[in-house]
Amino acid sequence: MQVLRTFIVEDSPLILENLVATLEEVARVQVIGTAPDETSALSWLKSDPEACDLLIIDIFLKSGSGLGVLRSASQLAHSPKRVVLTNYATPDMRKKCAELGADRVFDKSSELEDLIAYCGRLAEGGDSSPVPLS
Amino acid sequence: MASRSLLLPLAVAAAVAVFVVTELAYQHSEHALLSLGQRAAARTAIATVIRRMLDAETAQRGYLITGRTEYLGPSDEAWAEVEQAFNKLARHYAEDPESTTVLRDMRDRAAERQSELAATIRLYDGGQHARWRDLVLTNIGREKMEAVRSHAETLLAREDKLVAAERSSIVSTLGVNRVAVHVFTALSLLALVLYLRKRAALERLNEHHAAALQTERDDLERQVLRRTAELTELAQHLQTAREDERSRLARELHDELGALLTAAKLDLARLRRAMPDPNEAQEQRLQHLIRIIDEGIALKRNIIETLRPSSLSNLGLVPALEIQAQEFAARSGLKVHTALQAVALPDDTQISVYRLVQEALTNIAKHAGATQVHITLRPAQDKVHITVRDDGKGFDPARTLRGSHGLTGMRYRVEAAGGVMKVHSAPGRGSEVQAWVPLGTQPEHETAP
Repeated sequence: MQVLRTFIVEDSPLILENLVATLEEVARVQVIGTAPDETSALSWLKSDPEACDLLIIDIFLKSGSGLGVLRSASQLAHSPKRVVLTNYATPDMRKKCAELGADRVFDKSSELEDLIAYCGRLAEGGDSSPVPLS
Repeated sequence: MASRSLLLPLAVAAAVAVFVVTELAYQHSEHALLSLGQRAAARTAIATVIRRMLDAETAQRGYLITGRTEYLGPSDEAWAEVEQAFNKLARHYAEDPESTTVLRDMRDRAAERQSELAATIRLYDGGQHARWRDLVLTNIGREKMEAVRSHAETLLAREDKLVAAERSSIVSTLGVNRVAVHVFTALSLLALVLYLRKRAALERLNEHHAAALQTERDDLERQVLRRTAELTELAQHLQTAREDERSRLARELHDELGALLTAAKLDLARLRRAMPDPNEAQEQRLQHLIRIIDEGIALKRNIIETLRPSSLSNLGLVPALEIQAQEFAARSGLKVHTALQAVALPDDTQISVYRLVQEALTNIAKHAGATQVHITLRPAQDKVHITVRDDGKGFDPARTLRGSHGLTGMRYRVEAAGGVMKVHSAPGRGSEVQAWVPLGTQPEHETAP
């Protein structure tokens, strides 16, 4: 059992606030930082990549794209788990995210429970399963 | 116009004047020529009188010398001819008192000469030779003959004078006639020239008017074309604005409403963890809440889908049309057949095609009473050919009210995309909407924004 150090890239304050509270409450997640756009997310990743176990990335941001964050995160020496949380979880999008190195893709509306469960499993040291596409 | 109303009477007057002058000249000349002929006859008659009197004299001499009666015959003939000539002359001079006086004296002298010659012959026949010789030797006969001759010359001189006068009268008449004809011919020529010039001016004016009319027509046509282009542009703008607005609404619903619903779901997840053992009533409320939020999510998806088909932006035109056709078939209970080929169309045009099919299907559901629908999409040279055909009751395109069936809107949409739309239908024979839109350069399959 360990605390899952998590960094969240999300531009909606409403979702961010609720997501942080929910994850910290129901899973053993510690949110160590957040970013609302690609630039600040990238600069955080460069400054302190080792500190993080899990990246939760929204694709559509105020500026830039979560896809860019995903790509950079995949190239880190110590790469954290990468999870995409999006409202556009189409088959295409899932495929593209997988190509860019996402471990999982969750739909913001219908797959939140799955995300929470996934986080729980990670915290317990499990889930190194291959990436499912949908 | 006063000059024109005067022109015709003037022309008629000129023509009448020429007619009168020519006719008078003709009459006058004819009369003068006739008169000349009569004068020639009169001269002949005068000459005949002199010649035949001399013949009678010669015959008398012959008789007196030879005593042969055959000389007397010609003498009588001569006198008869003289008589005839005198009668002719009397008629000729009937209206010339002066010449009649001269003629009468001439005739008296001639008669005296005849009676003298007759007296001589009577004396000869009576054997009184001394007396006829005396009579012959007197100069009486010669004097009478001289008198006759002198009268004849008087008459001839008078004839000459009259002939000369008549000739000059003819010449002057002809001269007047000539001048009149020349003047009239010149006037006619002038009138013709004026008429031709006027006509040419009129023709130029007509040409000018025709050109002006053509210019006006061209202007109107250009104006119509410009207005049509403006209207098309406006329609295109409205269409684009509408689609933009729909996209914006869809995005906002997606982002804002999506965030709210996500937050609600997150809250729900926390609530469940906070209540590991809910009682039955609480569990019921929780399940209800989950259902309501899921319904909200589904409703949001539907609205967004209607506003801007995500299938179109996510999957591309062909799958989007397939989905639309399936959904329509499920909704309406009609059999929908599709034959769709992948084509490369710009985003705006894809939306136009999608909406065209959508509106055509709506029309079919509303009006056609069909059982089968065929949708085709295929490239055709540098265009894309779209058809939506049904086997419904059809309609008469010529008698369909403008704007009904949304056909005008569909047509505008297609034209705004640079395409052409045609509708084929007849009562009882189904209907078919065909459209051709220009191919674009963008790939047909684009991922979501």
